[in-house]
Amino acid sequence: MILSVCGKGGVGKTTVSAVAAQALSREDGRRALVVDADPAGGLAVALGLEPRKTLNDVRKEIIEEVKAGGRDEKDLAVSLDYLLAEALTEQGNLALLSIGRPEDAGCYCKVNVILKDAIEGLAGRFDATIIDAEAGIEQVNRKVLSSVDYVLLVSDTSAKAVKVARTIKGVADQMIGGQGTGLLVNRARDADEAGAVERGTDLDVLGWVPEDDTVRRFDGEELSFLELPDCPARAAIVTALEKTGLI
Amino acid sequence: MALFEEQLTEVRNLLDGWRGSGSGRDFDCSAREPWPDGPSLVLEEETALELGNPSAASISLLIWSEGGGVEDGKVTLVGPDVAEAASASVPFGQVVIAGGTFPDEYESYRDVRDAVYDTRLAGFSVRTMPSRQSVWCRVSRDAAGRGFSLVDLGAALIDSLKSLDGVSGAQVVFVTAGVDEVKKLAGAAAGAQRIVDAMMKMYSEENYDCETCEYQDVCDTVMDLKKIRQKLAEGKGSG
Repeated sequence: MILSVCGKGGVGKTTVSAVAAQALSREDGRRALVVDADPAGGLAVALGLEPRKTLNDVRKEIIEEVKAGGRDEKDLAVSLDYLLAEALTEQGNLALLSIGRPEDAGCYCKVNVILKDAIEGLAGRFDATIIDAEAGIEQVNRKVLSSVDYVLLVSDTSAKAVKVARTIKGVADQMIGGQGTGLLVNRARDADEAGAVERGTDLDVLGWVPEDDTVRRFDGEELSFLELPDCPARAAIVTALEKTGLI
Repeated sequence: MALFEEQLTEVRNLLDGWRGSGSGRDFDCSAREPWPDGPSLVLEEETALELGNPSAASISLLIWSEGGGVEDGKVTLVGPDVAEAASASVPFGQVVIAGGTFPDEYESYRDVRDAVYDTRLAGFSVRTMPSRQSVWCRVSRDAAGRGFSLVDLGAALIDSLKSLDGVSGAQVVFVTAGVDEVKKLAGAAAGAQRIVDAMMKMYSEENYDCETCEYQDVCDTVMDLKKIRQKLAEGKGSG
């Protein structure tokens, strides 16, 4: 199963993704790929992992391979498999792949297609894949996430964040199609505030996550969410993830 | 000089040395029960033995012989096997030699190469980086516990190669004895890669201007490459 966590910037996607990764890390026998698709790289920090190489580094190396010539598609495919494995940061049953920040100019559509195929192939070897998507609709719109099974929309209680979530669902329905979609309302003061959000949207609301001092402390002190203890926010996120079928 | 003649001679000399010093062990795998195929993902925490990690020495070499001399069905281990390794990660050298007839060099090379690339065994992950001539493998604890040996890998590679038209025999050499032993393969691997790169360039770029080609030195040494070039140039002229 491939689950992508999407939403407006600053609503807590990375926290939800990190808790999802932690929940999967506790499931013996299941191997999970965690993709930090936000160029800011917040998920790696949240998990206390330090990638030595990013997907963008892999992309640059493959471009150099293409430029050097003498490599057919099969050579490039096995090279990409090798480089992607080098880019994985492993922790127990988890493997993190960070997208990194593209710095070079120019169009490398063919390389990007090869990369997308390779990531989908890589995801196919894991039991579950979580993608912490870039804020907004761009990655969905550009079909970067075309093989996602479930789009977990995250918003806070602001009308703007819920509206962005609604927009993302519309784009996902058009560009992906057939995927599951649900909204998780993050950082609600109480059930009344979360209920108000639910009444104001046609999105399927999976649940709401309370403000939580433990999560705030882990964020503030850059502690690894892989060590996050049981707390109300964690429990709410895990309950929502169970509804998606991820865990 | 035939296509990989120099590399074959180099590998045979190394094999003689390893066998002479008692560090090379030969296994006949012609009647060996095949190890089952299976998924190729092995995570670090599941790994019993890692071979050729990118931070360790790793050299992979694939060559062929049309003139005989291939020790068909033989796997030679230079260094510890999976169950014998003293550490969880060892340097790795892999030499695959196919014997037979390879009339269409480029297509033959791709077939032989793909047969190696596509060998997938349960509990064993393998990744190849052609431009670095390196191969990176992991043996899962489960596979190691069930007795997986590098001889099983060698046998699978030999079976895969011998399923190809034109391949009449194959042998494999694995080196795990240490960085210095693995690095003895570096010259042969680099030479083979230059020949393959030159061949790939001829076919993919269709540019037969020797004066501007960076592989001119290779073609000057390996006469078979000149024959390929001539064949391709004539084909282009008649087309």
